[in-house]
Amino acid sequence: MPNDTQKISVKTTDFKVVGTTPDRPDGIDKVTGRAKFGADAYAPGMLHAAIYRSPHAHAKIVKIDMSRAGALKGVKAVVTRADFATGLAGENWNILENIMASDTALYDGHAICAVAATSALIARDAIKLIDVEYEMLPHVTDVDKSMASDAPVIRAGTADKSVPAGLGENVVRYHESGHGDIDAGFAAADLVIEDTFKTEATHQGYIEPHACLATLDTDGKGEVWCCTQGHFNVQKVCAALVGTETSQIRVTASEIGGGFGGKTVVFIEPVALALSRKANRPVKLVMSRSEVFRASGPTASASMDIKIGMMKDGRMTAASAVYRMQGGAFPGAPMEFTSMCGFAPYNLENVHQIGFDVMTNRPKQAAYRAPGSPMAAFAVESVVDELCNELGLDPIEVRLMNASHEGTKASYGPTFQRIGLVQTLEAAKAHPHFTAPLAENTGRGISCGFWFNHGGETSVTMALSEDGTVALSVGTPDIGGSRASMGQMAAEELGIPYEDVRVTIADTATLGYNEISHGSRVTYASGLATIEAARDTLKKLCKRAAAKWGIDEDAVAWVDGCAVPSGANAGDFDPLPIGKITRSMGRTGGPIVGHYEATPEGAGVSFATHIVDAQVDPETGKTAITRYTVVQDAGKAIHPTYVEGQFQGGAAQGIGWALNEEYIYGTDGRLQNTIFLDYRIPVASDLPMIDTVIVEVPNPGHPYGVRGVGETSICPPLAAVANAVSGAVGVRMTQLPMTPPHILSELGKKARAKKGGANG
Amino acid sequence: MYSTKYHKPASIADATAALTAGEDATILAGGQTLLATMKQHLASPSDLVDIRAIDGLSDISADGNVLTIGAAATHTAVASSAVVRDVCPALADLASGIGDPAVRNVGTIGGSVANNDPAADYPAAMLALGATIVTNTREITADDFFEGLFSTALEDGEIITAVKITAPAKAAYAKFPQPASLFALVGVFVADGAGGVRVAVTGAGEDGVFRQGAMESALGANWSAGALDGVAASQDGLMSDMHGAADYRAHLIAVMAKRAVSAA
Amino acid sequence: MSMIHVNTTVNGDEVDFVCDPRETLLDVLRDRLSLTGAKEGCGTGDCGACSVTVDDRLVCSCLMLGAEAEGKSIATIEGMATTEALDPLQVKFIEYAALQCGICTPGILIATRALLAKNPDPTEEEVRYWLAGNLCRCTGYDKIIRAVLDTAKDLRADAGEAR
Repeated sequence: MPNDTQKISVKTTDFKVVGTTPDRPDGIDKVTGRAKFGADAYAPGMLHAAIYRSPHAHAKIVKIDMSRAGALKGVKAVVTRADFATGLAGENWNILENIMASDTALYDGHAICAVAATSALIARDAIKLIDVEYEMLPHVTDVDKSMASDAPVIRAGTADKSVPAGLGENVVRYHESGHGDIDAGFAAADLVIEDTFKTEATHQGYIEPHACLATLDTDGKGEVWCCTQGHFNVQKVCAALVGTETSQIRVTASEIGGGFGGKTVVFIEPVALALSRKANRPVKLVMSRSEVFRASGPTASASMDIKIGMMKDGRMTAASAVYRMQGGAFPGAPMEFTSMCGFAPYNLENVHQIGFDVMTNRPKQAAYRAPGSPMAAFAVESVVDELCNELGLDPIEVRLMNASHEGTKASYGPTFQRIGLVQTLEAAKAHPHFTAPLAENTGRGISCGFWFNHGGETSVTMALSEDGTVALSVGTPDIGGSRASMGQMAAEELGIPYEDVRVTIADTATLGYNEISHGSRVTYASGLATIEAARDTLKKLCKRAAAKWGIDEDAVAWVDGCAVPSGANAGDFDPLPIGKITRSMGRTGGPIVGHYEATPEGAGVSFATHIVDAQVDPETGKTAITRYTVVQDAGKAIHPTYVEGQFQGGAAQGIGWALNEEYIYGTDGRLQNTIFLDYRIPVASDLPMIDTVIVEVPNPGHPYGVRGVGETSICPPLAAVANAVSGAVGVRMTQLPMTPPHILSELGKKARAKKGGANG
Repeated sequence: MYSTKYHKPASIADATAALTAGEDATILAGGQTLLATMKQHLASPSDLVDIRAIDGLSDISADGNVLTIGAAATHTAVASSAVVRDVCPALADLASGIGDPAVRNVGTIGGSVANNDPAADYPAAMLALGATIVTNTREITADDFFEGLFSTALEDGEIITAVKITAPAKAAYAKFPQPASLFALVGVFVADGAGGVRVAVTGAGEDGVFRQGAMESALGANWSAGALDGVAASQDGLMSDMHGAADYRAHLIAVMAKRAVSAA
Repeated sequence: MSMIHVNTTVNGDEVDFVCDPRETLLDVLRDRLSLTGAKEGCGTGDCGACSVTVDDRLVCSCLMLGAEAEGKSIATIEGMATTEALDPLQVKFIEYAALQCGICTPGILIATRALLAKNPDPTEEEVRYWLAGNLCRCTGYDKIIRAVLDTAKDLRADAGEAR
């Protein structure tokens, strides 16, 4: 709603607290081990639960025999699908089917039943005593194979109306967008490059496995403590899946040990609730690492065709893409985001993109930091790089020439408001990294990346204490230091010290609905809500001052933490500090509380440009990242150090995705690398320091110009690293991850081709 | 049904008694592999016999050019031992590259050798150095000791007490780690010792650690990295898994062997 | 199932507990001694979130049995700040934003303290290799490494002044 956002006046200067770097309020808790995460809660009489999971990729469940498990001393309850709500439809049915299979195991790791026992050891032992009889079904785990007409069908009739006729049963959603005439655009080009790219599924790799402690009484009242990015969503889903009313389940979000999108989804809480209801005791359920890999939500894997036309001077004439995204045994692969993000950095007259959402026998994919965008950037930015190489053009100049800017009609439809892509490219060009000499066997890669960012339902309460300090309650779990930035924005607006604000993540019984902490929305939306709640609070404070002074409310202004008379006829009164007003608030009208409840719609899109140097050992194919620079538009950095942290974290995850990380399935359809011993996430010795440049092009939709920063940072690295490696080895790398054997094999092909060429 | 007893004997005799008495007793020498497999129910021993409190079992000593390392010596102890550094620096280097600091602080040489993981580092050193594996009942040469995947010449109830190594003239170990586990995707230990030139390869063989005969001959004639030019490692009998196919491993054997020779 | 009785020392205090022989030291610390600062991120010794020291040696408490604690001296994150003040490493980690979600932080602090006790003047590379067994998914390690190097520098300066 662009008209709404126009009304916001954006403050960009004269900040006192915003832009500084105070210590986070949860800092001491987290360095002393006192912070309570998902698995750190205990309750009197608590049981421990464990889940039995399918060892097969696709199999009919013929019979579940839990008699031996149930007879084990210490086992207090067992549940199967029969212990959950019936009659669900839509996404609630999908979620339930994913967390507790009905009649068919759809992937290796699919939950079939669960037990609760007096100790975790007994619960795990009981799982070994469960006998399930299966009837094996053919399986498919690869996206291209799953689209074939003869592929095993995951679930017939799942496709929605968007899917054109003639596609396989496993294609369940379809997206198409663009504008202009791509055929004419390609015809006009001096050079057209078309290539196919593949990325494997990766995992968010948060270090804290999913964990919860749940109680559900026979009267339908329940309590859940869990690590989640969105406890209001957990509340809603749990109530539906166990068959009770939403308000009867109270959910408290624990500290969260990483999520990156993977904890926007409900996996275990309803299972713990169902077990608790049967045992009449609190139940704790903690996933093991291998359960996290096998049965939470990794990313989609992708198979992509990209075609771009370019003039000799670097101007793009047309671009088209087809994205085939594998999302596991349920609909939801983020192919529309992939489609919309791929060409977003470019001002294109002729552009077209198609996306397919394809089901396979794998776990239901979940969001992972800018879901769908990094894959698109990998494919698109690789082709842009190749075009620059072929035409002998500078990769930054070409991107600058074609960059989207304010007023550009985006590749996915709308017209961009104020955006900062050009500024990130200019900053990258000016950075010493871009012109530093390159070592032997080293390539330098450049890539842009784009993410939308999101607003969403938001509710915030700001309660003043009698001493003038502030209790700020927000409903978005703090996944990256947001309590600090909320405190800063509140302090800025109220004109009080940062230390005077205590920020709490409130439970579901305390605030109105808050959408999940996703879409890089927290600093934007909860931040906007905090500012608006502060302004609501200020209005109430000014009213008390006006009453005290006997003047009109409009004649009171708020300056530096004090009410002051304002305007010609306001009168002459000493400034009234916040603490003086609150000290007497009981006598002057009662407690002072500010609110904000709405759905902000002005999230600003953001762009980044990354530069990376990669050195490849030609004897082993091993890649070392030797230098990395992130340049990103933050709109306004509320806490610059934490913004840098988001930039660096996204880059590191992207490096892992580019070089090492992948879900590897065997021919039996089983996941092969289910522990960190086999699934490699970057460790300290894999990475260099990661330089950052914060660009600030204010978002017109936020009072201080904030854009989301959490996700955009993972969009460019896949392509940037691939472009660097391609440069180092002299071969275009079109598949991720670029593992040492993969790179060595490409080097071997190049050597043989050269030799063949010389002989021929 | 899954219950386990924990024993901490103070002598070899007590350890042997506990091992023989238990229905399915296992030695706990560090547990960095064993405990992980127990959690996955891949091993469910009736008894765990922790041998690390046995007197002298962690000692490291040298008698002339013969090095004796107690079975319960941790990787950290081997890596930081002045005695090892003096007699066989390549072995100290190898130990300092096993896993991460926490694993090195607990994992032991006896545990590693007895487990004979096909990707473990120590078996390559033992085989290349012609080490002697000393048990409570006998001495076994490395050539006879490593029998195959996770399989050794140890009898039920037999306990490794030490390994003995004669100082080589030259030796070095080069490893290409499997990136996640830091186990060897391919590790090559080269040694010019009492038993002549030996090249032992870990991480690659379907049957675990093995000697690379062609490379031994080449280096025996001319100890230099250049002598290995053109000596390709065969893919036959090499592992293919998610971390690398047999051809990649064969390629790495040649690369790592040269690097080891250059470093020796 | 026969339980085992263990006498040990945790953060300087004498402690005893009863546990199943299969319980790990991490299980015991968390479930029996209410010391939940050490975390289980993987259970296989790969992530380092459960790092503690046993007789001053850094270990993964998930790959040690509770029974092995008999007669040992265990140090966990809960014992790091022993006075009113935080340990200098803890202060620096907050200042440098060397943590985001904080789940790996206890393990990284324990591992780092073990490093600095051994090597008060580590290079960047030495810090990176020492911490290679401690996974952090949030930070990209940059700010962790800087916090460690800067703490080491301060501690060396303090030690210099003390002499």
